[in-house]
Amino acid sequence: MLLQATGISKIYPGVTALDRIDFDLKAGEVHVLFGENGAGKSTMIGILSGLRSPDSGSLAVNDRPVRNLDPQKAREMGIAAVFQEFSLVPSLSVLDNIFLGREITRFGRIDRRAMARRARVVLDELGYDIPLHAMVAGLSRAHMQMVEIAKALIVDACVLILDEPTASLTDSEADQLLAVVHRLRERGVGIIYVSHRLREIRALADRITVLRSGTLVGTITGVDATEERLVEMMTGRKIDALFPEMRHRPKEVGLAVEGLSLADGRLTDIALTVRRGEAVGIAGLVGCGKSEVGRAVFGVERLSAGRVTVGGRAVRPRSPRQMLREGLCYFPSDRNAEGLALERPIVESCSMAALDLPHLGGSGWLRRSAENARVAEAMKRLALRPPAITAPVASLSGGNRQKVMLGRGLLRDLDVYIFDEPTVGIDVGAKVEVYRFIADLVEAGAAVLIISSELPEILALSNRIYVMHEGRIVRELEGKDATEANVLTGFFGREERAHAPAAHAAGAVEVRAWA
Amino acid sequence: MSNAATTRGGAVRPTRSPLWIVERGILALLTVVVFAGFAIHSPVMATNANIANILVQTSYLAIFAAAQALVIMTRGFDLSLGSAVSTVSILCALTMTTLAAQGAGVSAVLAGLVVALAAGGAIGGLNGFFVAWGGINPFIVTLGSMNILLTLSTTISGGFPVAPLPEAFRALAYAEPAGIPLSVLCAALALVGLQIALSRTVFGRAVLLIGSNARATIMGGMAYRFHLVSAYVVCSALVGLGAFLMTARTGSGEPNLGGNLTLETIAAAVLGGIRLRGGQGDMLAPLLGAVFVTVLSNGMNLAGIDGYLQGVFLGLVIIAALSLDRLRSKASA
Repeated sequence: MLLQATGISKIYPGVTALDRIDFDLKAGEVHVLFGENGAGKSTMIGILSGLRSPDSGSLAVNDRPVRNLDPQKAREMGIAAVFQEFSLVPSLSVLDNIFLGREITRFGRIDRRAMARRARVVLDELGYDIPLHAMVAGLSRAHMQMVEIAKALIVDACVLILDEPTASLTDSEADQLLAVVHRLRERGVGIIYVSHRLREIRALADRITVLRSGTLVGTITGVDATEERLVEMMTGRKIDALFPEMRHRPKEVGLAVEGLSLADGRLTDIALTVRRGEAVGIAGLVGCGKSEVGRAVFGVERLSAGRVTVGGRAVRPRSPRQMLREGLCYFPSDRNAEGLALERPIVESCSMAALDLPHLGGSGWLRRSAENARVAEAMKRLALRPPAITAPVASLSGGNRQKVMLGRGLLRDLDVYIFDEPTVGIDVGAKVEVYRFIADLVEAGAAVLIISSELPEILALSNRIYVMHEGRIVRELEGKDATEANVLTGFFGREERAHAPAAHAAGAVEVRAWA
Repeated sequence: MSNAATTRGGAVRPTRSPLWIVERGILALLTVVVFAGFAIHSPVMATNANIANILVQTSYLAIFAAAQALVIMTRGFDLSLGSAVSTVSILCALTMTTLAAQGAGVSAVLAGLVVALAAGGAIGGLNGFFVAWGGINPFIVTLGSMNILLTLSTTISGGFPVAPLPEAFRALAYAEPAGIPLSVLCAALALVGLQIALSRTVFGRAVLLIGSNARATIMGGMAYRFHLVSAYVVCSALVGLGAFLMTARTGSGEPNLGGNLTLETIAAAVLGGIRLRGGQGDMLAPLLGAVFVTVLSNGMNLAGIDGYLQGVFLGLVIIAALSLDRLRSKASA
C-alpha cells in the first residue's frame, strides 16, 4: 500500500472535521475523494500532505508508519500536492515558480538553462503551452493552475494529490489534464483526486471514497459509481433532477443591448435582448468575452459605444451603484474576490447592495432589525447552511458563500439578473438550489441572463442561447436549434468553418458533457 | 463605552473569538503591571494628581488613535497624522493671535476651532482623494503629505512657537465642565460617536466592508469613494480637534507638536486589537491602546528615563504590536 491512513480524526473547536476516517491508496490507481463542500475533503488532504496534523489515527507511507508528517517530510517521501489556493509568487516568472525552493544549481549558481529544459519536458508532457519567462501575475487563472500542476510534477512524485484541478480550466485544458492523470497512473503514481465533477470521476476513478460532514460514507469502485449513487451518498438524500422544471414565458424586453463595444476592444458590437419571464444564456470559451458582457452592462467596464435599456429605460452604465438602482444586478463569477467580505458577518455581505434603500439604511442610519430580518428571510429561501447569519462568510463552504451573494437579489426590486458562472466551485446540492433560485426568478417574471462555461447548465436553463467568440456574438440559438453541437461549433468561430477544425475540437469536448 | 454601544438593540456582530477577549485582557493586565512596576520605582506614579494627569494625556492620544484606527479599518494608514497636528496647531494659533491682536476674545477661539477642524478636514480630504480616486497606496499618499505638512508647518511658523494666544483659549486646557476635563469629555464623545457610527450607520458599515474587500463594496453598489474619502476626512477633522486642544494645553502653536504621534497612534490602535489588514475593529481598541502607551511614557518620564531612550522603547512597543498583528493574521488565516 502506497499510503494508508487509519482512524484519522481532526477536531476543530466546535466541529469534528474528520471522524475516524480510513483511507488508502495503491500504486497506479486514481482514488477520488468525493463529498460536498465542508465534508472534510480539504482537511483530509491537508493531513495526507502534512499541512495539518490529525488529532488521532495513524499514517503509513509504503507500509512504514509515519509520525508527525510535515510538508517537508511529505515532499521527501514523494507526496506532491496541488491545492485550490495557489502557492505561486505573482512577481516571479513561471520558471522560477516551478522551481521555487528546488532550484537546480551548478557550481552554486542557479542553472536556469537546466531548469528550463526540465520544465519544458514537464510542460510538454502536460501539453501545456505556457511561456516560461512570463510573470505569473500576468497569467490567467487557468494558466496559473497549470503552473501549479507543473510545479508538483517537477519532482518525481509517487503520490500526487489534486484538489479540484480542473475547476478553473476550460474543457480542452481539462482534457489535457485528465490525459496526464491517466499517464501518471500508468507510470505507477498513486493519485488522490478531489473533485465535484461527476464526469471526471467517471472517466478517472478506480475507487471513490465519499465523505459527508466529516464521516466516511463508504468507498466504492469506479465501475459501481453511477451519478445517482454518488449524489445520494454525498448528500444523504435522493436528488431527482439536477435541473428544475422551468417554464419560460417571454414578455416585454427586460434588458436590451445594442452595438456595445468596450474601449479596450474586448467586446465588439454586442447586441442582445433578454425578455421578462425568460432566461437567456451566453456560452463561449474562457476569454471569449462573455463575462465582460455582464460586467459592461453592470457599469464595471469602460464602454466605447453601445445602447443599453433596462426595463424600457435607456441607461448609460457607469457604476454598479447606478445599475442596481436601475433594477439590474450582476453576480460576479469570482465571489471571493468581488462579491464577499469574508471576515465580516454574512448579513453584511448580503445586505450591502441594498443599504441605500429607505427601509434598510437610506437615511444613513442602519435599520439593523429590518436588515437582519430581510437577510434571514433571503437566506432561508436560499437554504443557507448553517442558517446563522452572524457568522463570518469565511466560515462557509463555496456553495453557501454563493447563496450569500445571490441573496442580494432578494433584498431589492430588480428587473434584470445577470449570473456569471453561478455554480463555479459549488457542490451538487448547492447547484440544485441555485438552479431552483434562477427558475423561481424567471417564473416570477424577471429577465435573467446566465453566463456560464458549464454547457449543460446553459442548455438546460436557457430559453435562448447566444454563443460568443473573440468578443463577438457569433450565434443566437433558439428552440430546436439550441443543441450542444450547435453551441460547440459556435465556440470556435463562424458557422461555415464548423466542419473543419471546430468539429475536431468539438468532438473532444463533447465526450466531457454530463450524462 | 464601546460595549454599551455595540450590544444595544440586539445588534448583529461577528461572533467574538475567545482570542479577542484574551487579547484585551492581556493588554489591560499588562497596563496594570507596567503601572505597578513604575509605581514601585517612583511612588509619585500612583498619586491622585498623576493619575489625573495620565487621564488627560490619554484623552489626547485616544482622540488621535481613534482617528488612526478609523483609517486603518479601511485597510489604510495615516502617516501624516503627526505633522497634521503640527500644521493645524500653527494654523489655528495664527488665526487666534491675529484676531486677538484686533481685540477679539471668545470669537477668536471659535474661529481657531473652525480653522482647526477645516484644516484637518481638508488634509483628510486630500489624502482620501488620492487614495480613493487616484488608487494610490495610502502609505505612499500619507508619507507624501506628511512631508508636505512638515515643511508647511515649519515654513509658516518660521520654526518658532506661535504666541501669545488669547487667555480664553489657554483656559480651555483647565476647563472642567461638569467636573470632567474638557479633553477627556471630547475624547469620550469622539470615541462613543465613532463607535455608534461604526455599528449603527451606513458609513461605519462601509468603512469595515471597504477594509475587508474594497472590490466587493464597489460591485455591491456601495458609494465606495464617498465613504473612503469620508473616513479620511473624519480622521483628520478629529486630528484637527485634538491638535486644537493640545495647542491650548501647550499655550502656543507648536511647529513640532505632532512629534511621535503618528507612531504612537499606530501602536495604540494595533495594541488595542485593530488589524492592520482592515475590515475589523471597534473603538475600545484605540482607547485601551492609548491608556497603555500613555502609562508607559508617563512612567518612563517619572523614572527619569532619557527622552531619546524613550523613543527606543516606543519603537520596541510598535514592533511588538506589529508582530502581534502578524500573529493574529496567521491565527485567523
